[in-house]
Amino acid sequence: MDNPDPTRKVTPKTKKESLSKEERQKQLEFQKEAVVHLNSLYNYALHLTMNPSDAEDLVQETYLKAYRFFNSFERGTNCKAWLFKILKNNYINRFRKNSKEPGKVDYDLIKDFYHSIKDVQNDTSEAESDYFHSLLHEEVHQALHSLPEEFREVIQLCDIDGFTYEEIANMVESPIGTVRSRLYRGRKLLREQLEGYAKKYGFNTDKDQ
Amino acid sequence: MNCQKAQVLMSAAVDCELTVKEEEGFLLHLSECKECKDEFEDAKKTKMIIKEKIVQFKAPQSLFNSIMELTSASSVER
Repeated sequence: MDNPDPTRKVTPKTKKESLSKEERQKQLEFQKEAVVHLNSLYNYALHLTMNPSDAEDLVQETYLKAYRFFNSFERGTNCKAWLFKILKNNYINRFRKNSKEPGKVDYDLIKDFYHSIKDVQNDTSEAESDYFHSLLHEEVHQALHSLPEEFREVIQLCDIDGFTYEEIANMVESPIGTVRSRLYRGRKLLREQLEGYAKKYGFNTDKDQ
Repeated sequence: MNCQKAQVLMSAAVDCELTVKEEEGFLLHLSECKECKDEFEDAKKTKMIIKEKIVQFKAPQSLFNSIMELTSASSVER
């Protein structure tokens, strides 16, 4: 007879379902807590690796690890910060081992990144005299990436990803005072860079004129 | 508060991370020191520029899919 015996099928199926119910719950919670931060993590990885394919690998590894250790995630704390920390550790272990050239930037890559959005960028409705408004995405990106990594990192975590100083201090494993001073110096350096671009393109950065 | 102390607090002031007491002293110093006030305005502006000009990319759909797969695949393994 080709008809499957219903009694034989039911037992293993019930067992499997009760197991996957627990797993299913974990999955749902993981999606709600962790997968929602995918875009932020992907961008963080892009900034670290400057390479879309490495960034994807890094993000995948991070989520795999995060899922495996999801039980150790302290409920009620910032899951995004937890994921960033995992990603950063992965990055250090995997991508920085070989390369001793932090801060080396592939400018062609940046151009590629921004190529697709450049057309959208052409609204110069703002006052032309304000050179800050005239800055292009890629110029700010370049300026940010020209900073020493310790400065770039805190600026990114603070201004782009919106972490608190306490969270940043935990991520970069430095005291809050260090985070403060790196942000201060980093922003100052960045401003100098941006003023450099503005001067290059003939904008007057002298406020008194 | 002198300029040096104000500079130490500058970034935290931009990010609203000062304690009430620190903020009091900081604002008092700014009211007396044009240089620090200008620098504070510049620092705020720099933060704005980064927020506005750094573009966030959308993660590729394929990456999203594979993460959804990864998380469900590891449940099968157990």
